[in-house]
Amino acid sequence: MEKQDDGPIRVDLTGLLKGRKVIVFGVPGAFTPTCSSAHLPSFVRAADRLRQKGVDEILCLSLNDVHVMRLWGEQSGAIAAGIRMLADSDGALARAMGLAWSNPDVGFHDRFRRFAMLVEDTTVAAFHLDDMGVCASTTGEAMLAELK
Amino acid sequence: MSISEGASLPNAQLARLGDAGPETVDLNDYIKGRRVILFGLPGAFTGTCSTIHLPSFIATADEFAEQGVDEIICVSVNDPFVMKAWAEASGADAAGITLLADADAAFTKAIGMNFTVPAIGFFDRSNRYAAIVEDGIVTHVNVDEPNTCNVSTGQSLLERLAA
Repeated sequence: MEKQDDGPIRVDLTGLLKGRKVIVFGVPGAFTPTCSSAHLPSFVRAADRLRQKGVDEILCLSLNDVHVMRLWGEQSGAIAAGIRMLADSDGALARAMGLAWSNPDVGFHDRFRRFAMLVEDTTVAAFHLDDMGVCASTTGEAMLAELK
Repeated sequence: MSISEGASLPNAQLARLGDAGPETVDLNDYIKGRRVILFGLPGAFTGTCSTIHLPSFIATADEFAEQGVDEIICVSVNDPFVMKAWAEASGADAAGITLLADADAAFTKAIGMNFTVPAIGFFDRSNRYAAIVEDGIVTHVNVDEPNTCNVSTGQSLLERLAA
């Protein structure tokens, strides 16, 4: 789901991916240290260069609600950089992709592992998954290197 | 069960972001022997919560302190990182209001305040309520109908105290 100016809307992921070149990355949570200081900023920095290399859209996924995603996108500069902030509100996509993890001690239930992928016409052309607690292979720069 | 006057609050493990990261707050221990306000709302950074409900307690925080209230606590089904960001952005931190995360909704469900609206991406979020709790016992509670924010505001709860 995504919060647009007139409220929350449901976004059909397949529709966004069909016939296009899209970068999709997932993070454990809005406003968390690594996601806010490293992962999302790396895509804010790389967004223009990714588009110059033919990327049609950059999608950030997290299990937060649309309100939180929108504010995080505004505060971080991601929305200004053209990154769409999509909410997997119930964790259904994280579970379906086999990327869900939980850490009740910090209040996380079925959050995304940190990943980034290049999707061409709904087919995954490159997939990077970071180890827990690490943000290295899933950055905007790492995905730039995947593009010819 | 639901939240009702004269009843004890169920215990819960809530979370907040401390200097060293997320930490657990045992609600019973936290409010023991004290007079506190506990209010719940659907979500951080949402329209009515950010424009009316939380600000209503920021506006009345000083008056509650004069009424002998030791602490004002806001509970929402969000994680502690989001609650911290909201506390800073909204001015709640500066007003001395404590925001606690009921990340898995266990407390919200235990007091019967949970609601779900998949169309807007809300699962087991909290209806709006505001309670005065003395040594763990609910002495006053106001619960709003869904989609309204009237009796659970700081001003309405102050009127209950004055009555």
